[in-house]
Amino acid sequence: MASVTAEPIDTTIEVPGKRTPLVTGAHDYGTVTDAVCRLAECKTPTAWYVALGISASLMGMLFGLIGYLIITGVGVWGNRSPVFWGWPIVNFVFWVGIGHAGTLISAILFLFRQDWRTGINRAAEAMTIFAVICAGVFPGIHIGRVWLAYWLFPIPNQMAMWPNFRSPLLWDVFAVSTYATVSLLFWYMGMIPDLATLRDRATGKIQQFAYGLFSLGWNGSSRHWHRYERAYLLLAALAAPLVLSVHTIVSFDFAVSQLPGWHTTIFPPYFVAGAVFSGFAMVLTLMIPARKICGIEDLLTDRHLENMTKVIIATGTMVGYAYAMEFFIAWYGGNRYETFAFINRAFGPYAWAYWIMVSCNVISPQLFWIKKIRTTPWMIFVVCVFVNIGMWFERFVITVTSLSRDFLPSSWGYFRPTIIDVLMLIGSFGLFMTLFLLFCKFLPMVAMAEVKSVMPRPGGQSDHH
Amino acid sequence: MDRFLFPKWANSIISVLGALGGVGALYVLGMVAFGASPETTDVGYQPEQPLPFSHALHAGKLKLDCRYCHNTVEVAGHAAIPPTATCLNCHSGADANGVVNTVSVHSTSTKLAPIRESQATGKSMQWRRVHDLPDYVYFNHSAHVRRGVSCVACHGRVDKMETVTQVKPLSMGWCLECHRHPEPNLRPPEFVTKLDWVADGDPHEVGEKVRKELNLNPSTNCSTCHR
Amino acid sequence: MDKKYWRSLNELHSTPGFEEILHREFPVAASEYPEGVSRRRWMQLMGASVALAGVSGCRWEDEKISPSVSRPEGRIPGVPQKYATFMELGGLAESLLVTCYDGRPIKVEGNPDSPQNQGSSTVFAQSETLSLYDPDRAVGVVERKEGTRYARDWQAFLDYADTVLGQARQDGGAKLRVLADVSSSATRRNLQEKFAALYPQARWYDYTANSRDNIYAGSKLAFGEVVRPHFDLSKANIVVCLDEDLLSEHSAGMLHTREWAARRDPAAGEMNRMYAVESRFTTTGLAADHRLPSRSVDIGFYLARLEAQVQARLAGKTPEPAGDEYADKVLAAMAEDLVANQGAALIAIGANQPAELQARVHKLNEQLGNVGKTIRYSKEPLATDLAAAEALRKLTDEIQAGSVETLVILGGNPAYNAPGDIDLVSALSKVPHSIHLGEYEDETSLLCKWHLPKTHPFEQWGDARSYDGTLCVAQPLIEPLHDGKSEVELLAILCGDKHPVALDLVKEAVKGSLDSMTVNASWRRLVHDGVLKGSALEAVSPKVKSLPAAKLTEAAGEELELVFYISPQVYDGRFANSGWLQETPDNLTKITWDNAAIIAPATAKKLGVEFGSVVKLILDGKSIELPVYVLPGQAPNSISVALGYGRTAAGLVGGDVARDVKPVGENIAALQSKAAMNFAAGLKLEKTGKEYELAITQDHHSIDAVGAGEIHGRVGQLVREANLSEYKSHPDFAKHVTHHPPLESLWEELSYEGQAWGMSIDLTKCIGCNACSVACQAENNVPVVGREQVLKSREMHWLRVDRYFTGDDVDNPGVSIQPMLCQQCELAPCEQVCPVAATVHTDEGLNDMVYNRCVGTRYCANNCPYKVRRFNYFNFNKVYEDPNRKLQALVLNPEVTVRHRGVMEKCTYCVQRIKAVQIDAKNDQRPIKDGEIVTACQQACSAKAIEFGDLKNEKSLVAQAHASPRSYAVLSELNIKPRTAYLARILNPHPSLAKPDSEGHGHGEAHAEADHPKTAEKH
Repeated sequence: MASVTAEPIDTTIEVPGKRTPLVTGAHDYGTVTDAVCRLAECKTPTAWYVALGISASLMGMLFGLIGYLIITGVGVWGNRSPVFWGWPIVNFVFWVGIGHAGTLISAILFLFRQDWRTGINRAAEAMTIFAVICAGVFPGIHIGRVWLAYWLFPIPNQMAMWPNFRSPLLWDVFAVSTYATVSLLFWYMGMIPDLATLRDRATGKIQQFAYGLFSLGWNGSSRHWHRYERAYLLLAALAAPLVLSVHTIVSFDFAVSQLPGWHTTIFPPYFVAGAVFSGFAMVLTLMIPARKICGIEDLLTDRHLENMTKVIIATGTMVGYAYAMEFFIAWYGGNRYETFAFINRAFGPYAWAYWIMVSCNVISPQLFWIKKIRTTPWMIFVVCVFVNIGMWFERFVITVTSLSRDFLPSSWGYFRPTIIDVLMLIGSFGLFMTLFLLFCKFLPMVAMAEVKSVMPRPGGQSDHH
Repeated sequence: MDRFLFPKWANSIISVLGALGGVGALYVLGMVAFGASPETTDVGYQPEQPLPFSHALHAGKLKLDCRYCHNTVEVAGHAAIPPTATCLNCHSGADANGVVNTVSVHSTSTKLAPIRESQATGKSMQWRRVHDLPDYVYFNHSAHVRRGVSCVACHGRVDKMETVTQVKPLSMGWCLECHRHPEPNLRPPEFVTKLDWVADGDPHEVGEKVRKELNLNPSTNCSTCHR
Repeated sequence: MDKKYWRSLNELHSTPGFEEILHREFPVAASEYPEGVSRRRWMQLMGASVALAGVSGCRWEDEKISPSVSRPEGRIPGVPQKYATFMELGGLAESLLVTCYDGRPIKVEGNPDSPQNQGSSTVFAQSETLSLYDPDRAVGVVERKEGTRYARDWQAFLDYADTVLGQARQDGGAKLRVLADVSSSATRRNLQEKFAALYPQARWYDYTANSRDNIYAGSKLAFGEVVRPHFDLSKANIVVCLDEDLLSEHSAGMLHTREWAARRDPAAGEMNRMYAVESRFTTTGLAADHRLPSRSVDIGFYLARLEAQVQARLAGKTPEPAGDEYADKVLAAMAEDLVANQGAALIAIGANQPAELQARVHKLNEQLGNVGKTIRYSKEPLATDLAAAEALRKLTDEIQAGSVETLVILGGNPAYNAPGDIDLVSALSKVPHSIHLGEYEDETSLLCKWHLPKTHPFEQWGDARSYDGTLCVAQPLIEPLHDGKSEVELLAILCGDKHPVALDLVKEAVKGSLDSMTVNASWRRLVHDGVLKGSALEAVSPKVKSLPAAKLTEAAGEELELVFYISPQVYDGRFANSGWLQETPDNLTKITWDNAAIIAPATAKKLGVEFGSVVKLILDGKSIELPVYVLPGQAPNSISVALGYGRTAAGLVGGDVARDVKPVGENIAALQSKAAMNFAAGLKLEKTGKEYELAITQDHHSIDAVGAGEIHGRVGQLVREANLSEYKSHPDFAKHVTHHPPLESLWEELSYEGQAWGMSIDLTKCIGCNACSVACQAENNVPVVGREQVLKSREMHWLRVDRYFTGDDVDNPGVSIQPMLCQQCELAPCEQVCPVAATVHTDEGLNDMVYNRCVGTRYCANNCPYKVRRFNYFNFNKVYEDPNRKLQALVLNPEVTVRHRGVMEKCTYCVQRIKAVQIDAKNDQRPIKDGEIVTACQQACSAKAIEFGDLKNEKSLVAQAHASPRSYAVLSELNIKPRTAYLARILNPHPSLAKPDSEGHGHGEAHAEADHPKTAEKH
């Protein structure tokens, strides 16, 4: 590996009066650049092709199934009366949630001057975009007459009809699309200097042109840098509120309805916390293997991981609090339907789902109080996988359990997913991984420019603040 | 050095490209909006009928009342296309014994052959529909004609048409416009089939008056047309 | 809506003009669509309406308009017309009024002029339009030789008939037999006589699976002559039903229901009280104030005890104190009531009970002085000297003995529903010349040499009498679609009349009943009205002969009994191919698309079987496998199974093994025997270890303890009930069942000028007979989804009937019934969440559902607290696009859009009917009369439980209902302001049996003053 070996230091210990370096190993700017660009330049390992092959075929399956769905009708899913929303919506909320970490890390942590973000923000942002793409797939195909989906947008038409602006679904359309656009801009903006670096190092004609085109003629002049940083700051400021708004509005889909178990005011904060929670878990699930395979442990140190686990403890605990509070309110509210909705969650036919959710989301993250676990990558990885599972089940519990038993017992039902439901969820992971693998291969996985800004200057102490 | 940077001249064309892009987008939008509007797709539809029946002649020159043929218009949703028998009232051909009704007009005209054939074979005339609404739209003629909405409002001056043509878009927006402000299209019910009728005085006031008299408040509920 | 049109006679005679119209307007071959219907309408029928939505206004396809060559007088294209006709079941007619659209029958309604059903109709009648256009109906004359099937025509048959009957005439028809479905047609009787004269040696047998032989035998035993009892429930304070479903399955059920319901209004006069002692849970048992589950074999035992107690009381003896068994208490109360209400009570016993018991019930009624007051007797026109099963056995024996050359089977399907111990099947194949006239090529046709297509009731002239004897006449509403001939036409042919004119035959037959002076005029009147007023059977007053003294029989041991009953869905199997009926959930079990072994919880536990486990029912040697349904309230040790299932040649819907379509359910007739046609003791039951998932529309999965507890808690709030006594002390108890803080709306509330449509449903009157549900399906083109989809709870009924068991005793629970349809909330939750505004409010308070705008997010359905919205998960109307089944599409109501896949749908108070009346009224500048708009469900309801109209008009019936103290809104605490009000159910239990007052009452008590200002109803 390109970095010059030096005596290893434990980045997870705070030494008073001494700032723990965010980049270990005796790295200088050059070696950092080498480390990151290597991926794009060295010969592609077969493992990558294998991985891409698998996920691409899963993605293919997803698109195949979507075709089948559109030709046949949404009946191919398990949706039924009274569970009119099933897995597709669960998947949608799940993916949108995942898509939170990126912008949070890049925007909010940036505004809070959390330097350690530099190691992970690029990958996190990428992951955000991909997650939102996966999320975007579901509501689109979820409606009964896909070919009329454009009626959801306020387009002037001969029917003189507008969409219904009272409907949370409509708010959703705007919220998610805005979020997707801004995150994409933010991600691309941040990548420009690094793309330029790749361009400059590129040897092949195509690479040179491609990177050149996308780095928009960056030449590293201080004028460029000045504009770049200003723009980055502005976008960060723009993106920050979105982090909160998106999932707040997604939660409105449920909270604004009057279904027992949906109709609660706690949803917005609860959803946002949950989203950040799942987002960070997903970043870790991806980055822990990635940093090993790509050999960038020096840039993405244990300290980075530990910091993130701390965020996970925090948000995980918030989520746990929300679960508890829901029950309290249900009891305190004294509404028979509300009360039953929650008793039914914990002890009804879907109790199994509920307890999976609780143990994965509330109990497992608490393990991070133990430093050993917090600082051992494979342990973090395991916990994070559980958190991902737990968060998917949280959405399942909220959506399906509440719907399956509402006001009139005569219409109660029990939701069973079909094979199509399952395959589509797997397919969406295929889509996600495909995009992520392509990203790892062709784009700078770590924000070189930003990492360098938090490294000791050559021949001098780091004195940035 | 072997790296791709935008050449100098790129700067100059950027603004041009931008401008072109903008104009192009507007152009496409305009084309779509115009091309898809009923004004374009529907208005002017003029199908060839099995026989060249001239409304201009019958309704215009001969001043036949619309209801002579479309006689269910005031009592039913459909303004029924007249049965062959109605045509034969004037255009009957020679009967079994070759005797031609003395009052019969054009009893031998080849143009009218299809009518006589229809009578002979008992097969219906196959007229082609000109004014066609989507099947989920429940338009009721009686509900309009009996309330002083003239044929002209939707069908135009049929009494001037050699071949009937659609002159109004018949789009939902167009319907709503009148349901919201019916006055311009209202007239005393006795004149609904008088296509050349002109209001004496301000048509809007006349309409206002009719609306008051008949206590008309056209509904814009969805179920008014969609069931 | 009560417009009726003359259909002039020359029109009806086959004048060329008319012929030609019919032929054009109605497809003779199923393949082509009627030219008479404009293509636009046709497309509508073809379910393409919404398919075109995408390209609405696009102008690419070229539509043809085909006007009539000469339009018949009075025919206005696109304006529905109504004609009177009838349908006959078990020899008894139900007079109907059928709506024809451009000459197509599309909707059946009861004939308001009929004293029998007074405008209401049964589910069977409702589904007649569907069976009329059933593509599986036999399409032509068929001959079978050595197992091969040859398509023939009528001429071929006529020639064949000549030769066969020629021989028959030689020997006076000694070897000629006729097996016919029961009928009360005078025309048929005439021809029967003619036939008898022509073939003196020939024999005629009547057969029906739903025989009333026991009643005949019973009355013969009691009176020495066969008479027909007529009940007058309007005069009865006390009604006792012994294994008798007086309200629903009885041939006069609709009349009974109406009269019974009229006496169920606590605000108006004295309420009646009904007792039911029965094995299976019937509609009557559901409506009764007291129900005593008892094996059918034990009915005699209970009757005897009842007699004893009544005698004692009549003799002025103080009856021995009732035991503390529930049964004792009920019997004591019954006896007390009967004696206290002499002359104002009635006892009815089911046709399945043996003659002796029938006779004793006659006696008891006489003793109590009910005869002539609540019970009237008349001659029994349908009486036969041979019981149905007897007739069938005799015929079979004759065939086996080789003494039958020619067998003519008129209607019916004996090969399918013959009891197990009569081997008609093998016998039939032995008959050299067998001819079957039937609407379908069914099990019987397959065994006969010739199959002749029978006309549908709507395709023929005919006459019959309803239960009270009123003469009904049918006129053809449409040319025979499949070249069919009616029963009377075939009979005429057999009598040598080559080309019979049914019209003349019928006219000839009923002439007798018409005013001789003005035969033609009164005939026209009769055809127009469909019924002849005052033609009911005149009363006779027979006296009960001395009967052997009733000895107190003992309840027969613990052994299991098997009860056979005529299915409320598919009758005796003749409606097996009707999707509407197969998918109609049984009102108690909620089973669709199957029959099951219905077992009491206690018995199930004893036998170690549970819901869905397949068991083997063994009755003297013969056995059949069926899934178990555990029904609370079913009599212990009694297992009941519906007849009419397991059809093997019904069609693509009901099962057709030839085209490998699995039969629906199992044919239990195999276990019937001549001796035990109705029920049999000594049933053995074996577990098979197999499992089977029944498609039920409620409790889709076994409810866990948590859920069960909650349901128990909720039902009292959803279906509010009280005893008469509570009602008297707290008339508005229903308004105090739920409590909540003042309700305020998030949205600006709409104000309503003009009409404000509303509905009310009286739960005291509703008996949950499903007529409303099927009527809604017929009116609104509600699709059939099939068993697989019902299993996924995707059934589409806009109006469903919810059923909840109440009380703590699973062996004898109460049942609460609640018809549930869109409540048209003024603050509709569905409207707020629809992103494309596909469901919005009208200024008359309707909650419009715009199918062509809906994109199918299903958000509205999630947010609907009543879950009355239905979603088209697939294209459930495919069947209408299938070129081979296109004919089916003719049944669709062109006034209602056919919904495409991916679209939400629901009830809109039959908005098409509202609009029709509104436009008419406005056209002639008149106000809409109350009751002028009748929704399909309201129209069908025989109990008059449903009212619809303008809430703004205080005088309207619906407004009065809403003002009633009993009225309440389900889930009103959600502040959704439903426009549908329910009237709380009032029960009238015997004081000695009344349960302690329900909590509803307690609330009323506790909060009477405190809560009034706060309750929703006051806001």
